[in-house]
Amino acid sequence: MIGKNRRKLIAASAVIAAGSMLLSAAPAQAADPGLTSSSIKLGITIPMTGIASPGYNKIPGAMKAYFEYVNANGGVNGRKINLVVKDDQYIPTLAVAKANELILKDKVFALIGTLGTASTKAISRSAQLSARGIPSMFVNTGFSGFADKKAYPTSFSLLPSYQMEAKVMGKYLDDNFAGKKVGLIYQDDDFGVDALNGFKQAGVNFAIKIPYASGSQAVAGVPGTWITKLQAAAPDVVILFGVSSATAAALGNAYAYKYAPKWILGSVGGDATTLAANKVPPAFLAGAKGLSFAPAPSDATDEYIKMFMDVNTTYNKGVAFDNNIVAGMTSAFLAVQAIKAAGPNLTRKSLIAAIEKGGATFANPALSPLGYSSTSHIGATGYWIGTYDATGALKPDGGKYTVYTTDSGTGPVVISNYKRPAMPAKGLPN
Amino acid sequence: MFQIFNTFLIGVTAGSIYALMAISMVLVWRSTRVVNFAQAGMALLSTYFGYEVIHQVGSYWLALPIAMISGAIVAAVIELVFMRLLLKHSSQGAIASIAPIIATLGLLGLIKSMIGYFWGNQDVSIESPLSNVGFTLGTQTLALSPMKLFILIVVSILVIALTFVFQRTNLGLALRASAYAPEISRLAGIKVDLVRTFGWAVAGAAGGAAGMLQTANGNGALSPDSLEFSLLLAFGFISAVIGGLDSLLGAVLGALLLGLVLAFVLTYIGGSLVFITAFVLLLVVLLIRPAGIISQRAGRRA
Amino acid sequence: MHKFKPSNTSRFLGFVFLGIFLVYLSNTVDELRVYQGATVAMYVVAISSIILLTGYSGQVSLGHGALLAVGGYGAALLRNNFNAPIWLCFAGAVLMAAFWGALLGATAARLSGPYLAGTTLALAVGLPSIANQFKFLGGEQGLIFDIGLPPASLGETFSQYKWFFWIASLTALISMWWLQNLLRSRYGRTWRAVRTQSIAAELAGIHVARSKVLAFTISAGLAGLAGALLSMTISTVSPGAFPLSLSFALATGAVISGVTTLGGVIIGAVTLVAIPEIADSLARRIGASENATINLPGLLVSGLLIVTVLFIPNGPVEQIRQRKMK
Repeated sequence: MIGKNRRKLIAASAVIAAGSMLLSAAPAQAADPGLTSSSIKLGITIPMTGIASPGYNKIPGAMKAYFEYVNANGGVNGRKINLVVKDDQYIPTLAVAKANELILKDKVFALIGTLGTASTKAISRSAQLSARGIPSMFVNTGFSGFADKKAYPTSFSLLPSYQMEAKVMGKYLDDNFAGKKVGLIYQDDDFGVDALNGFKQAGVNFAIKIPYASGSQAVAGVPGTWITKLQAAAPDVVILFGVSSATAAALGNAYAYKYAPKWILGSVGGDATTLAANKVPPAFLAGAKGLSFAPAPSDATDEYIKMFMDVNTTYNKGVAFDNNIVAGMTSAFLAVQAIKAAGPNLTRKSLIAAIEKGGATFANPALSPLGYSSTSHIGATGYWIGTYDATGALKPDGGKYTVYTTDSGTGPVVISNYKRPAMPAKGLPN
Repeated sequence: MFQIFNTFLIGVTAGSIYALMAISMVLVWRSTRVVNFAQAGMALLSTYFGYEVIHQVGSYWLALPIAMISGAIVAAVIELVFMRLLLKHSSQGAIASIAPIIATLGLLGLIKSMIGYFWGNQDVSIESPLSNVGFTLGTQTLALSPMKLFILIVVSILVIALTFVFQRTNLGLALRASAYAPEISRLAGIKVDLVRTFGWAVAGAAGGAAGMLQTANGNGALSPDSLEFSLLLAFGFISAVIGGLDSLLGAVLGALLLGLVLAFVLTYIGGSLVFITAFVLLLVVLLIRPAGIISQRAGRRA
Repeated sequence: MHKFKPSNTSRFLGFVFLGIFLVYLSNTVDELRVYQGATVAMYVVAISSIILLTGYSGQVSLGHGALLAVGGYGAALLRNNFNAPIWLCFAGAVLMAAFWGALLGATAARLSGPYLAGTTLALAVGLPSIANQFKFLGGEQGLIFDIGLPPASLGETFSQYKWFFWIASLTALISMWWLQNLLRSRYGRTWRAVRTQSIAAELAGIHVARSKVLAFTISAGLAGLAGALLSMTISTVSPGAFPLSLSFALATGAVISGVTTLGGVIIGAVTLVAIPEIADSLARRIGASENATINLPGLLVSGLLIVTVLFIPNGPVEQIRQRKMK
């Protein structure tokens, strides 16, 4: 009797155990990881420490601030967004390890804003984002390769490519400085190679080209040699196509040597706040040309910038507002739009589909059209050109943003008639 | 012609910055036979103290000596509590060749994390006290500004003063003696431990000066992850090795050689050859003279 | 030369059992741990190359990251251009790194302590810029190193990471077995003699310089192998994957393992992988501020390193051995 009962008990507990296993497995099948009815978990790996971190380490804070603002207003389709931040020190090996932690341990729903070409590529390959169907939203690099849907089916880029930027600059030179001598300082790696390709397509001939090894701008004496070379070649216009520290070093040394050609600053190194913090006197910058695809951080008349400033004050302890903050909040804003568009029955697949379907018309701060479609994962596709004023703020030429748009191939550079969708009320996607 | 002259000036002023770092590495090497990789961290920390002074009081001229003094104190404390333990525990066996290097690397990491904890990982900035705009010669602007001239003067004074202390005073003799033969020195009545601590303190002060001057001369930005300081360490150490590690004069010569070679290679050969040039220069010098330009003895066995 | 003493058989069996245990382990732990396991195996090979160089032949290298890079690029180039099988890619990585190691070693044999440290440091600083000079190295974004999917015979559920883990573990086991035999052979004794009593060794007829170059060459070969494994686990190879901090991390791992004994190598390897994660969860548990969270991993690694150098300079394994002998 007892034996029979015991056998029953065992059978019953086995059934319960099996049942509970089924039950616990069931939600996992219904919903993708990182997702509950009231929350979404996103993950970012980015250099928070290490030599590439200054400036970029403000991006996750900006993203978090905007997400908190959205959460405080009820979240997206009732879900609150939670961002897990990992420090990859700009080392691809570490980036993969951290991405794996995000995916396998923290079980994030999607990645957002991974930074650096080599790291992003390594993450995508090794963490098998496409095989696992994990969306990687708005990778933070201007290397055009990530917009290639075949190679990176779950990745979306946000920045226009460096090639596009070079082509827009070429068009500008053609219109305004035809027949003048042009000089160039560029980073001697993919960043610069992409740009050189763009300049070649635009038919720009340089009187002098100065490559610099990444990092060498921080070696005492190196930027000085750039300026002596420029002085000897005496171009009328000089394009600075480098990172912030290199741009600042070039301008700082030019100031020291009283060398003042017409400057054109690339978007990567043209953040006025960073330049000012790097001892480039704003007055020296006055009159230089700059490019950007988002509104200038100093432009408080722009509704998005105004909203971002408010969010930064309330949710980000009011850290210095610059391009990094704008970049972080723009990615966060677009992510919220995408999640909203994917609807209440959110899945990884539906998120990707939503960006492909409606991404081009999402409300967002970028002033150039977004290129998202079922065949393309490229984000912003153009630039506006402005002039730095005596306070170091970049002001659009002619008082309004005139955006030039193009592609990463041989397409022409044309003035865009894109009209940015109005900002949803209170900056909350609806 | 003018370009050559300016390139020369760039090389010399850059070399003087490497020289400050190289000098502090040589001082530590001479007093304790340790290659101090924490030097960059110590320089960074004293520069942060200097930054704090500028932040509170607003004077670079007050901040510079305070950074040097705090650099000396930090270095002395590290030597007292840390390097003594290290010498006691790890001066035997296979570990002896690598222990000081690894320990000071650990220290470097420790200092950086602590700076990050207290001041945050984002850039702070130091204003340059003197003009960075070059002097004018006729219609041309020289690659030499009041700030750079000041750096050259400080480096010269430091080198002359230190060389004097090392070569002409009893203290200098004691320093050299206690590094080469601690036991015999002790028998001769030299307070070896005290002398070593003094060597570290002077190196710490030189490092603090290097940090303050480099930051004011460069872009003014300061962060625990500063690329400038990592490269200052690498180039300072390379300069010291080129110079021979044992000689202050050698360190300065090595630094000037590195600065000049880099400036001329970058201007006249290729803009992106910085790092590989430093390696090749080091290799060439060491192939000709395995113990640096000014070596005490040929073929010394460490 | 008695390479195969009787006890070798039992040691060999030990390695086989370890291998079987690892296979069992890879089937029980989750995918993240399997991936980390592959990284640990990579570190085992890399750290052992430092231990061989420093602990046995008394030379210091702060630029081993550069030799890992040579191996990684070598393997990727073989794979991409000639579609070589994995084992051949690894062999190529070893040979290529060993070749450069021999050249470097020939220079290094002339240099003592800090001069060698300086040279290798300068190499590690200078190397990444080379990748941008030659187009076939793929520039900053590097090359893809894809070893392909696991064989279908292992079943459909067999994950890519488990495949990495198996390959890396097998590679590590084979190279450790080979290395410990080497260290017990005549060469190992020669190196020890050169390190501890280089003048006496010279008098005894040992060619000191040649023995140092040989140690550097083999160490470089192992480093190249580790580089190939590293590139496998991240599926790409790029200059950024071999920063100066990697060279420093390997030296750190070697010291934590104990530079004089190969036996402790797993300790350093596990530590390097585990610390950032431990720091992460620690920071989360105590609800640390942002500054503390970001800086905790660096603080822990550095602190551990300093404590090790100060209090157990010869590593935990040697420490235990000494305590037993007392």
